[in-house]
Amino acid sequence: MSKTYQAIVVGAGPAGSSAALVMARAGLDVALVERGTFPGEKNMFGGVLHRLPALEEIFPDFWDRAALGRHIVKKGVTFMTGDSSFTTTIESGNFDKTPYNGYSIFRPRFDNWLAQEAVKAGATLITRATVDDLMYKEGKIAGVSIVGRTGELLAPVVIAADGVLSFIAKKAGLRQPTFNPAQMAVGVKALIDMPREMIDDRFGLVREQGFANEFVGCTAGVRGGGFLYTNYDSLSVGLVFHLASLRVSGKTPYDLLNAFMEQPQLAKMISGGRLQEYSAHLIPEGGYDMIPELVGDGILVTGDAAALCNATGLNLEGINLASQSGVLAGKTVIAAHQNKNFTKQSLNLYKKLMEESYVLKDLKLYRKAPHMLHNDRIYNEYPELMCSFMEYIYRIDGAPKENLSKLFLKSAKEKVGLGNLVADGFSAWRAL
Amino acid sequence: MNIDEIFDNTSFTIDREPHIVLNYDICTGCDNRGCVNSCPARCYTWSEEDQKMTFVHDGCLECGTCYVVCHRDAFTRWRYPRGGFGVAYRMT
Repeated sequence: MSKTYQAIVVGAGPAGSSAALVMARAGLDVALVERGTFPGEKNMFGGVLHRLPALEEIFPDFWDRAALGRHIVKKGVTFMTGDSSFTTTIESGNFDKTPYNGYSIFRPRFDNWLAQEAVKAGATLITRATVDDLMYKEGKIAGVSIVGRTGELLAPVVIAADGVLSFIAKKAGLRQPTFNPAQMAVGVKALIDMPREMIDDRFGLVREQGFANEFVGCTAGVRGGGFLYTNYDSLSVGLVFHLASLRVSGKTPYDLLNAFMEQPQLAKMISGGRLQEYSAHLIPEGGYDMIPELVGDGILVTGDAAALCNATGLNLEGINLASQSGVLAGKTVIAAHQNKNFTKQSLNLYKKLMEESYVLKDLKLYRKAPHMLHNDRIYNEYPELMCSFMEYIYRIDGAPKENLSKLFLKSAKEKVGLGNLVADGFSAWRAL
Repeated sequence: MNIDEIFDNTSFTIDREPHIVLNYDICTGCDNRGCVNSCPARCYTWSEEDQKMTFVHDGCLECGTCYVVCHRDAFTRWRYPRGGFGVAYRMT
């Protein structure tokens, strides 16, 4: 049995549901196909949900409707060694005013909520359906087939929102057939149950306020970093590793996560909590140079499937870019239906809209950031330098003092070498 | 966090048919086996004694790490589980 739609969206994550929502609102008959038993069941992330301008345009009351957690008023960066840490935090009154700058969320709730908004707009959500392949008729994309089911879903245009590995983009010949481990990272996360009052007291929060912190130096020399952020009554704690570096390290993600959670300062933050869930997910961290062909005949690629992720070392953006790309892909398909033209040439409008939006502009701007982050000194020597230098500044034990700038240069020379310091500073300045 | 107790913390609906199938001969000839340490769910085990790779799909988190780190293309099948099967996150 086959069923015909005007468009098929593969994957009900932030990109796919945004696309389905826009198209359904314009009156198109859309199938939103999801492999989980519900949208969000397969998704995890380790960060903060930032502003979503494309969705805010559709729902002026977006932030009141969405399934969100705490709004983040306090952000920190910690340089960590085995038993020391040096942290800077910014807590701003502006982060405590609407529109809030960011939220902690649970993907199984947020993604499901967004997909249900698409359903309310008229999209058909088909869950428990893993797309197997693209189907072609007379050389043109005609729909998709589902694993283990006879019958197909038919449509003249398919939006690939099937996530970081995008087998749909591969089958359409739009992405590279194999991935470069240097362009991928894996995140692992422990969800730690903790009473709400304990979290508020421990992190200095009131009302719905939240805290998010990044860590560097906590990965035993593997390129990567850590994170901790507050949900209402749980903490999300995890690590992210560049795969090329993890692969050759011989170390395992769970051993490194355990060591991170046992580091004395981190152990204090999570003590009294109880592990609830362990999860893992890949992150496309290759930046602009990793983006596949966004458009083919009868197909558009969005979100993680298009490697739309901006990792600069300080912020990690993905859901906002995914949702924006989904909305722009949806608008393109609406225009294509008006012109009854689903060729690559017609769908190239998506590429144009993407180039005009902050998505590709930002990724282009930070094009050099992934390269800069492939520097082992960031993950070892610099955190050690920061911690030992700060420790020296605050240590008062009767030993004669040294000139601080001289001392800094001396320890920098010992830990990283002055040439490297200059080169790394220059590379960071150019990349950011 | 004890990776041996992954089933106590993370929910799975396990499909009898594996979604990942390996050609173990390729693993035996591999000089790297980055999958063994990189897999966040410890699905891959290499026995030095038997010179044999073992793969168990039950606790697979469907992250794709093995798919990316394997440089020998040892997979005769790598796809996501059938709809409704596999890992089921609740709070992440």
